[in-house]
Amino acid sequence: MCETAKLIEAKDVVFSYHSDDGEGYDSPAIRGLDIDIAQGEYVAFLGPNGSGKSTLAKLIDVLEVPNEGKITVFGCDTTDPLHFWTIRENCAVVFQNPDNQIVGTTVEEDVAFGPENLGIPNPELRNRVDDALKVTGLFTKRKLPAASLSGGQKQKLAIAGALAMDPKLLILDESTAMLDPVSRDEFLALVEMMHRDKGVTVVSITHDMDEAARCERVFVIKDGKVAGKGTPSEIFKNSELIKSAGLERPAHYRFLSATEEITGIKIPENVDINSREAASRLASEMILEAVKTKGPVDLRKKEKNDKAGNTILEVKDLSFGYDESTLALKDINLEVRKGEILAIVGRTGCGKTTLISHFNALIAPQKGEVIIHTETGDYKTSNKKDKMTIRSKIGLVFQYPEYQLFEESVYKDIQYGLIRMGVPSEKHEKRIKEAISLVGIDESVLKKSPFELSGGQKRRVAMAGVLVMRPSILVLDEPASGLDPHGRKEMFKIIHNLRENGTTVIIVTHNMDEAAVNADRICCIKDGRIISVTSPEEMFSDYSKCKSMGIDIPKITSFSRKVRHMIRETVPDIKVDDISFDPRESCELLFNAALKYGGGRS
Amino acid sequence: MIKDISLGRFYDTGSILHKADPRVKIILYIVYLIAIFMINTAGGLALFAIVTILQVILASIPMKVIRSTVLPVLPIVIFIFLINLFTIKTGNTLWEWKVFSITDYAVSRAVLMALRLLFLIVSTSILLTLTTTPLKIADALESLFSPLKLIKVPVHEMAMMMSIALRFIPTLIDETNKIMRAQISRGADYDTGSLVKRVKGYVTVLIPLFVSSFKRAEELAVAMDARCYRGGVGRTKLNPLKLKKSDISLGTVFVLIAAGIVVIDFVLR
Repeated sequence: MCETAKLIEAKDVVFSYHSDDGEGYDSPAIRGLDIDIAQGEYVAFLGPNGSGKSTLAKLIDVLEVPNEGKITVFGCDTTDPLHFWTIRENCAVVFQNPDNQIVGTTVEEDVAFGPENLGIPNPELRNRVDDALKVTGLFTKRKLPAASLSGGQKQKLAIAGALAMDPKLLILDESTAMLDPVSRDEFLALVEMMHRDKGVTVVSITHDMDEAARCERVFVIKDGKVAGKGTPSEIFKNSELIKSAGLERPAHYRFLSATEEITGIKIPENVDINSREAASRLASEMILEAVKTKGPVDLRKKEKNDKAGNTILEVKDLSFGYDESTLALKDINLEVRKGEILAIVGRTGCGKTTLISHFNALIAPQKGEVIIHTETGDYKTSNKKDKMTIRSKIGLVFQYPEYQLFEESVYKDIQYGLIRMGVPSEKHEKRIKEAISLVGIDESVLKKSPFELSGGQKRRVAMAGVLVMRPSILVLDEPASGLDPHGRKEMFKIIHNLRENGTTVIIVTHNMDEAAVNADRICCIKDGRIISVTSPEEMFSDYSKCKSMGIDIPKITSFSRKVRHMIRETVPDIKVDDISFDPRESCELLFNAALKYGGGRS
Repeated sequence: MIKDISLGRFYDTGSILHKADPRVKIILYIVYLIAIFMINTAGGLALFAIVTILQVILASIPMKVIRSTVLPVLPIVIFIFLINLFTIKTGNTLWEWKVFSITDYAVSRAVLMALRLLFLIVSTSILLTLTTTPLKIADALESLFSPLKLIKVPVHEMAMMMSIALRFIPTLIDETNKIMRAQISRGADYDTGSLVKRVKGYVTVLIPLFVSSFKRAEELAVAMDARCYRGGVGRTKLNPLKLKKSDISLGTVFVLIAAGIVVIDFVLR
């Protein structure tokens, strides 16, 4: 190998998936990009969808070669066929979709796939596979079919496959995007262990800002160029850069910015606020300092949704099991109110999807019942006759709905539901236009094929295909998964608009932060049982109860809790009697509380 | 919605049959395949049934799994049975109604054909799919066909394609179910209506399924590339196939049993 200090170096790289038509490259994915990554670094590439991050990963692993410019990896030019295998053999990639990177049928056969290709002989091969399985905690499952693993376990399997190749460089191409928070943490712990113990250089491509904050250095990539680079602290302090690249800052950065605004005290340049510990200390100091000089700040009035009305959907004593031995749902009782946004949260496999499949009679209840109350009467999902009516009243949008598109044009695809539900054809055009305006899509898209749209647009079209039936209740399973921060924001805007128009919305999610900010009530499910249904404020104000029930806490709540503890060291009897999931409001609450109890004394 | 299809699903119990060399199992499978179609008498069939049950016990696969393997193909078995029952006209007529008639010979042929098919399915799953991982089957085929490499047949590549196809069966079944649930939510109905209507309805499942399969194929190819796959040359194996003495004896015993049944069957005729 060609030894240099720089592990990856890219200079003026241009790359396009389209061929050169004589007048330069058509719409290049990478347009003049420079990066340098040193041996043993842990870096993140941040950027909106379509910014060229994943292409960059492919260029590093010689899955593509640049049209112009030069990339050297391990000191070797990627265009030099002589070093092709040198680079690739020392570089492992974990991709986004767990299912599409498993080659082996059983767990151990899959782990062995990489080293087998490298020609590693037995018994070393066996040792490598066993070691990798033990480290990732999959050893007991080594003989099981790979398809039987959960999503989180599958990504761990991918990491095990990478470990067994003993790489010098590990590239994560949105590897955690499809995982729930718990699996995500476990996955990152494994990656960080490889980085720490084996000195593996890690390049992590991600949409998750908290994940980027764990890295040593961050590159912000926009339109195929590096828009900014630096430590996470430098990057996230630069609010202009973050905004222009359509990103979002981690909760504690937003809290600190709000603190700066409210107290008027500047965040010192020399403090590294990337660690939450340091950040919470700083925030408490700023608040206490300002308490001495400033009067109370006006609390922003919280907008409470009072529109929630009568029960529209009722679940009574519902139990359901896929087989005789285990129940997926146990004694579920739930009342959904008209006009509210209800979030159903819980970990992967807790029964969320089974529950919502009961709502529109996809699954008939084994015990108990599901009743839909409408102006025209009550419908029970157990009644086969009412199935179609129920399905038009309750729209169900599953996770990754873009995978259900099938027609030749967007118009026809959205129309499908109308035809099936027997809506007279003269009404179709009006309803279709109404549906696409609800999801914020231009009418010009209607003639296009759904398969030529971008990922975000496809999802909206798929949603429109459900909304066109004018459901009174819309159920969305992980509506924002796989979207970048900007896309997530847009999605929740759509959801709030729908509610304004009178639709009751049920969101299934494992993202507590989004549930807390967007929902009127949160229904928490664990092991097939409902363990709590309350407003987010009520739910998260009792920290110890959440902990004991195994409910994750929104990041902003756990951070403001940290700050409160810090303040308590100076102002022991501080009491904060309200809770907010907006960083600014959280800071205002703390500030006023500190003022009330400690301001006069000092 | 599609229920579990156990065809192509490996079920590990760690039995002798699971541990046996897959090449031996493939050869045995071919032997039994031939034997099944050589048997013509009730006695032969009974002996064959006993051996098949013996194989199930040897593989220690629970009846539940066998049942779920057989159930999906039962309609075909019944179809074959009925076709034979009503189309064979030789022999003494037992029952007649308009154009339909059943003869004693037709009954015996129909039973024979149906049972042959049933044994075929059970043997396939016991000797191959349930006890052998698809990758091992592919390995074995690659090894058995390796002489063909001399005449430039891409044996390794074909084996790889086969094992990947098998590996993706459960994934694609899951995907199909997901798509069906989504379309049912939009008003699709796959269970009622005329046959033509139902087949047409499946377009709403097949197109998304194809689109996503192509996407999967592309991503898988990139992932395999990234994991340094470069064909069969220079590749090592975690579990290389090794022919053990026990494999040879297992093979010999079962080949002899098969031969014995065929001989007895011949004598009984």
